[in-house]
Amino acid sequence: MRRISYFVRQAIINIRNNRLVHFIGLSTMVISILILGAFALLYVNVYGWLQNWGGSMRVSVYLRDGLSKGEVAQIEDFIKQQLEIESCRYVSKAMALEDLKQALGPQSKLLSALSTNPLPASFELEVKGLGDPQKQLTRLQEKLEKLPGVEEVQYSQVWIERFKGLLDLVKIIGLVVGGLLAMGALFIVTNTIKLTIYSRKEEIEILKLVGATDWFVKMPFLIEGMIQGVFSAAVALVILFGGYILFSVKKTTFLSLAVLKIQFIPFPYVVAILGLSLVVGVLGSLIAVGRFFEVAKD
Amino acid sequence: MIRMFHVRKTFGGNVALRDINLHIKKGEFAFVTGPSGAGKTTLLRLIFGAERPTSGHILIDGINLSRISRKRLDLLRRRIGFVFQDFKLLPHKTVFDNVALSLEVMGERQTFIRKRTHQTLRSLGLAKKETAYPLQLSGGEQQRVAIARAIVKNPVLLLADEPTGNLDPDLTKEIMLLFRTIHMKGTTVVIATHSRELLDRTAQRKIVLYRGEIVGEEE
Repeated sequence: MRRISYFVRQAIINIRNNRLVHFIGLSTMVISILILGAFALLYVNVYGWLQNWGGSMRVSVYLRDGLSKGEVAQIEDFIKQQLEIESCRYVSKAMALEDLKQALGPQSKLLSALSTNPLPASFELEVKGLGDPQKQLTRLQEKLEKLPGVEEVQYSQVWIERFKGLLDLVKIIGLVVGGLLAMGALFIVTNTIKLTIYSRKEEIEILKLVGATDWFVKMPFLIEGMIQGVFSAAVALVILFGGYILFSVKKTTFLSLAVLKIQFIPFPYVVAILGLSLVVGVLGSLIAVGRFFEVAKD
Repeated sequence: MIRMFHVRKTFGGNVALRDINLHIKKGEFAFVTGPSGAGKTTLLRLIFGAERPTSGHILIDGINLSRISRKRLDLLRRRIGFVFQDFKLLPHKTVFDNVALSLEVMGERQTFIRKRTHQTLRSLGLAKKETAYPLQLSGGEQQRVAIARAIVKNPVLLLADEPTGNLDPDLTKEIMLLFRTIHMKGTTVVIATHSRELLDRTAQRKIVLYRGEIVGEEE
């Protein structure tokens, strides 16, 4: 325990003595983590929006003509038993025709030429999002289409696929950019620590001469990298949160996205970013001290 | 305490030491002398494990330095005090911190480190200089700080390389008195010096090196 306090003290002294180097390293790391955080924020929100839209998505269940009331009621019961159904509204053939007339407006006269009502009766459903909207709706469609008396089940599949594609793209870009940024951050930490090691070269030599083990010499540098990683992540997350607050306040003026609720990255993501930064910090220091001690041995 | 068997050390094509056979007993006080370039510093560095012999064996307190691991060498160094010719003090650390460093690496308790460091500095007349930085001290004071750092851990072996090299006769006498006091407490002391004056005034064992060879010994 007393050793840890010595190592932490030494790490803080190192940081203080190499303020400028650390400031530059820290700033670059903050920017990297900020970009990564922004991607996480984008991903989380697009995913959230997609789920919400999936939830309010309308599904039309078209019925065969000539079903008895009992058969219609049976279908309605079955639909209402499904977990994801938020609301279910029966639209009779007459109501469907009325809706169409209203939708056509002045052109509705065209419909008066029809001798029979060609429109089917239907159930208009609103579906709650429970996981992947695409899979959920396909499953629901398959289930409902098997029912006797159901002609067809329709939902707008195309936009969901497009958004899923967009989400996948955001995820891939996020992972690629994140990976590159993590490597960049690793490089930054390695070089920052290397510079502080060189500035303490004389001290390391003396420490070794008075009997310090390699780990005794290395530990303060590892803690230094750890501090740099975690502190950079903390600063980046605070900036990201500040940006999020500003953006949330101004959302009403932001194009048509105003209706969208923006959420901050969830806690597990925050922990993951802090953890990743810590790992990058320690790994960068390990590489730097490893290289230094290899050279020192020669 | 120190045994050397046919030790040879070369740097590139230059032979620094050749066929050194030496035995320094526990509790002994010995001088290693000879002109500049005779190999005195190399001999001390070999004993300290800062250099490895090109051939031959060195035993320190029964431990063979040719086969010692890096970690065990670190631990052995904790039992050896070394006073360097150029002091090797850290300029941005205070006198107190420079001396305490020897105990910090050993993982001693802070209370013990403080007590022992104060005690050592007081015994060397440096109590008032604890908060000073090495560059604010005179040559003699820096030398005493270097000695303090070497003896604060109660070493079994104390090596000193030209410890009076840049000091006037009064300070030289003072420093030598310090070494004698340390020796009286049971520490084996080996001092490398080329100072004729210092050697003439002492009755201790003298090992004479010339061009990397032991050419004589005086008791």
